[in-house]
Amino acid sequence: MQGVCGFDGGVASPESVSSVSKAAVAATEGGEEEGLVVDDVHGGAVGEREEEREVEVSNGEELELGLTLGAARKAKAAPARRGACCRILTAKDFPSLAVRASRRSHSGSLASSSSGTNRGGGTAGTKRTAESVSPDVGGSPHPPSQMVVGWPPIRAFRMNNLFNHPKDTTALKKADVDNGVDSTSKTASGSRDQEDKGCATRSSFFVKVKMDGDPIGRKVDLSAHHSYETLAVALDLMFHKPTMAFALATAAHGSKVSKLLDASSEFALTYEDKDGDWMLVGDVPWGMFLETVKRLRIMRTSDANGLSQPVHFGKGFYYPSTLPVDQ
Amino acid sequence: MTYFPEEVVEHIFDFLSSHRDRNIVSTVCKAWYRVERLSRRIVFVGNCYAVRPGRVMARFPGMKCLSVKGKPHFADFNLVPHDWGGFALPWIEAAARGCPGLEELRLKRMVVSDESLELLARSFPNFKALVLVSCEGFTTDGLAAIATHCRGLRELDLQENEVEDHGRQWLSCFPDSCTSLESLNFACLKGEVNAGALERLVARCVNLRSLKLNRAISVESLARILARTPHLVELGTGSFTVEHRAEAYQRLIHAFRKCKSLKSLSGFWDVAPRCLQSIYSICPNLTVLNLSYAPAIQGADLVKLIRHCFKLQKLWVLDCIGDKGLAVVASTCQELQELRVFPSDIYGTGTAAVTEEGLVAISSGCSKLNSLLYFCHQMTNAALITVAKNCPHFTRFRLCILDPGKPDPDTNQPLDEGFGAIVRSCKDLRRLSLSGLLTDKVFLYIGEYAARLEMLSIAFAGDSDKGMVYVLNGCKNLRKLEIRDSPFGDAALLVNVGKYETMRSLWMSSCDVTLGGCKALAAKMPRLNVEVINDRDESDEMEENPSDMHKVEKMYVYRTLAGARNDAPEFVEIL
Repeated sequence: MQGVCGFDGGVASPESVSSVSKAAVAATEGGEEEGLVVDDVHGGAVGEREEEREVEVSNGEELELGLTLGAARKAKAAPARRGACCRILTAKDFPSLAVRASRRSHSGSLASSSSGTNRGGGTAGTKRTAESVSPDVGGSPHPPSQMVVGWPPIRAFRMNNLFNHPKDTTALKKADVDNGVDSTSKTASGSRDQEDKGCATRSSFFVKVKMDGDPIGRKVDLSAHHSYETLAVALDLMFHKPTMAFALATAAHGSKVSKLLDASSEFALTYEDKDGDWMLVGDVPWGMFLETVKRLRIMRTSDANGLSQPVHFGKGFYYPSTLPVDQ
Repeated sequence: MTYFPEEVVEHIFDFLSSHRDRNIVSTVCKAWYRVERLSRRIVFVGNCYAVRPGRVMARFPGMKCLSVKGKPHFADFNLVPHDWGGFALPWIEAAARGCPGLEELRLKRMVVSDESLELLARSFPNFKALVLVSCEGFTTDGLAAIATHCRGLRELDLQENEVEDHGRQWLSCFPDSCTSLESLNFACLKGEVNAGALERLVARCVNLRSLKLNRAISVESLARILARTPHLVELGTGSFTVEHRAEAYQRLIHAFRKCKSLKSLSGFWDVAPRCLQSIYSICPNLTVLNLSYAPAIQGADLVKLIRHCFKLQKLWVLDCIGDKGLAVVASTCQELQELRVFPSDIYGTGTAAVTEEGLVAISSGCSKLNSLLYFCHQMTNAALITVAKNCPHFTRFRLCILDPGKPDPDTNQPLDEGFGAIVRSCKDLRRLSLSGLLTDKVFLYIGEYAARLEMLSIAFAGDSDKGMVYVLNGCKNLRKLEIRDSPFGDAALLVNVGKYETMRSLWMSSCDVTLGGCKALAAKMPRLNVEVINDRDESDEMEENPSDMHKVEKMYVYRTLAGARNDAPEFVEIL
């Protein structure tokens, strides 16, 4: 049985609530249009479990993931484990859903777009979403607020001081307990607690992310993640490219890992470290990664060949400096 | 007017309080220009790059108070790269040379180095007040210099600055002879200060009326401080974590009861709901309450508190208050003039949110409301129309629907009609921020009706160049226009180039303006600086010589008498 999962189209933050959004692939320069749809798989009351994870996983089931364009979220089931692998649906799978035609197909910002759709269908879609509890469903053609740089317009000072309040870490811990996540997450929330005590360390940790071929840079809050898997899933969701749909591993393989971390996909996730070197993400412990990462880049694997990976020499790590092979 | 002695003219000018009025009278004739410039005491520079510092000092040698603003407003949201500019040092250096009688300096969104603060501390013997808002670049070392050298300092007000903590006991640098402080705000500092030094300082500054502590100050310390400052009018608490059975808490309640003059409260970092009871005795006198950094307080506790606050004029709160809480505000706070509702959860839809219902409730209860900042998850046209009818006195109306470009959830229509009603009804509207799904129509309304509008913020709105054109051709008093992620291009940019000389600045980012359009604008208008700001990350992908067709990611245009600035970093191109 094919399952479809609801998800939150943004940061993989544990206390985030699933939202339905119309974010779609940023159209390429060629004006390629793509729509994404999400629908929820499990039955259950809408609005149940407001602290919802993004992705549903069920052993042995093949799951599909996409962003809804106004389709009602049918239910939210038990909290999901992150790292589910899914196929991105496209608007072609849901022709009745309306999407506001992209007027910014050649610009930077994400806009949902789909050929041959009209407003009327959108109304229907919106009505269905209106039944859901989430107040955030409105079928906007723009990406949800957490995906866009500098939005919502909240002063940086407030962002840094408020959105890492101990209350968040409490929710984080609670969610982790519910999920049965292992102790690494507690470390993350524990360290966040420390930051809340007013030390000079950063409380939120936004780094820029850019994907080859996409003119728009985004930002992701690394402090909201506790593992590469969650980060990779969040990035998958942020940068929906049609080709990435095929790059995402399926559950059938048993690996619940985004293809970004898998060497065989078309794209590779890399980061620039403190020394200015570009490294492949995934090889150092998460905490070490957090200390050294400056920004992220989703590179085409053709460019990523020859990228340095840390080499284990006895006790320490040695990072040969290298340049990515350029085409 | 030549038969009026200059002293009389000067005396008449004393009654002119606004900068605009004084600017206008100085253009009447040479005599008035001279009288005005020699008698001006308060100078306001809205854009630090619009004029050279030396020129300001030369024109107003009698200046006592100087206000300067640096980075464009969108820098607050990380849209302006870090080292874009806005340095305070040239201003302080010029003032040290030209106006050594300077008494007050107010800086907003500027880069202030420790070196500038040290120079400031040593250069002005009569220096009385330093106010830094949303600035960065300095550390507690700079503050130590101010504390050490500014004899007679009355006001040190640090609002939401990024200050690096160098651990130095800057507060202890206030000499024992310092008794002049009236206002001290260090709420934004992250590090600790010597509690004993602070208590002694506030005790000897008998005129202290405003004190805002940082998170590092404990409740015990607060109780001791309040015991020494019973005449305080404004208080920002430190950390409010305390066990409500603790003795410190009891002492705090007692101290609060003694503070009969307290009118303004803020802070409340980490406050537990139970501890809010300690301020119930003060609430009936409160006119200003800022609980926007207290996410642990949920709706019900907020409501209990607010029921006591019937004199409230200004309320800043998180959306945990909920629509029901806002209804309580509406019925209790009849004097409310300013309301800010900030989001407590931006990552998800969240249950702790406010909707259009809360705003409608507020508008029906608080008829004096004139300033609004409202973050919500949805808004309807019907609600906005009702609000416009109930509150025609808005001067500032900023609505932020968190989901960009979201339509009216009831009708799936854009919010053009709702905002149209606001601008039609609120004839004194000076500042407007739009959000939600909006077509060109809303700009047609704004251009036609918002005659007093001075500042307009646009994001993810409009369909075509026509939108921007309506605004540029319509709003006579427009001073600042900032636009992001909207489909306005070269045609709109160039339709009315003369307009930009009547404005302070124009910001456009992620729009459809091209490099060629910017060049054309710069060529036509030599008294504008047209800055093209490239995101550093883009530069490794950008070609050596981008063509004129290349879309500009960020553009900042401002009128200036100073020509192209010479402190621009390499990623800023000034055309």
